[in-house]
Amino acid sequence: MTATATYMYAITRPIAPEAVSDLRGIGGTPVRVIEHGELAALVGTVDLAEFGERPLAQHLADLEWLGRAAREHDEVVRAAARLTTTMPLRLATVCHDDDAVHARLDSVRGAVLTVLPELDGRDEWGVKIFAVADRTTPAETAPAASGAAYLTQRRRQLTSRDEWIDTATRTAFRAFGRLAEFAAASRQQTPQDQRLSGAEHPMVLNAAFLVSRRDEDAFRAAVADLAAEWPPGGVVLTGPWPPYSFVPNDDR
Amino acid sequence: MTAIAELTAEPQAGSLVDLLDRLLGTGVVLAGDVTISLAGIDLVTVRLRALIMTVREAEK
Repeated sequence: MTATATYMYAITRPIAPEAVSDLRGIGGTPVRVIEHGELAALVGTVDLAEFGERPLAQHLADLEWLGRAAREHDEVVRAAARLTTTMPLRLATVCHDDDAVHARLDSVRGAVLTVLPELDGRDEWGVKIFAVADRTTPAETAPAASGAAYLTQRRRQLTSRDEWIDTATRTAFRAFGRLAEFAAASRQQTPQDQRLSGAEHPMVLNAAFLVSRRDEDAFRAAVADLAAEWPPGGVVLTGPWPPYSFVPNDDR
Repeated sequence: MTAIAELTAEPQAGSLVDLLDRLLGTGVVLAGDVTISLAGIDLVTVRLRALIMTVREAEK
């Protein structure tokens, strides 16, 4: 018999087991509900050969595996969020067995019951702002004649680039404040590294907003207004997301 | 108001970095009996290393 473990996708308010009977998660495995009083956990059974501590550490460094697992995990969380208020769990939350899931639910029960009402009827939206160079940005100048002239020129270019990014960052911060007025909660995450995002311009704001579905239209209109004030491509809205950025975690 | 449609990126279509930003950078860590050390692994570092390697390979 293969050694298995229980993979947790999310903690939710109670869900009828039949509601997820067609749902598939990691590696196409069935998703099931573990009921626990006024809470439920959406889980699946995974193979320890893949999700044990050592193989998992290797897999997490494999982008293809990581990307597939992230999308499969996200699919289940999204399905749960369509059914009821859902607190997503971090990728690769693995418990020894179902009994361990019950024990975990017992230990986090109080915290979860505090968080769930904050998430009721709300979605996460992401807003990324990029320092898109406008036409006033100094273009690359002609090659300098001497080494010293090159250094002076290079220093000037770097300074002007820093100033331009500083200005964009301050403007983006004010924009964050404006958008936050439409949200129940808001967070600024670390801007994504340009090498990772593949973005043409440096990111100066990577924000997440928890927005009530009632306020969604007003929020989106505010983002559209903001986008109109920035050069094209400067403001990117993503969502709706499950409230990934608005659940407590113990290492941030 | 054409902007709204254009502004809404589809999270499923290609924004893996946005998804990983959320799935690895946030979320409750419920270390189970098996992968107790997961919380100890610097997931962000793992992620960055993996992604940067991929980006570099793609550039070759």
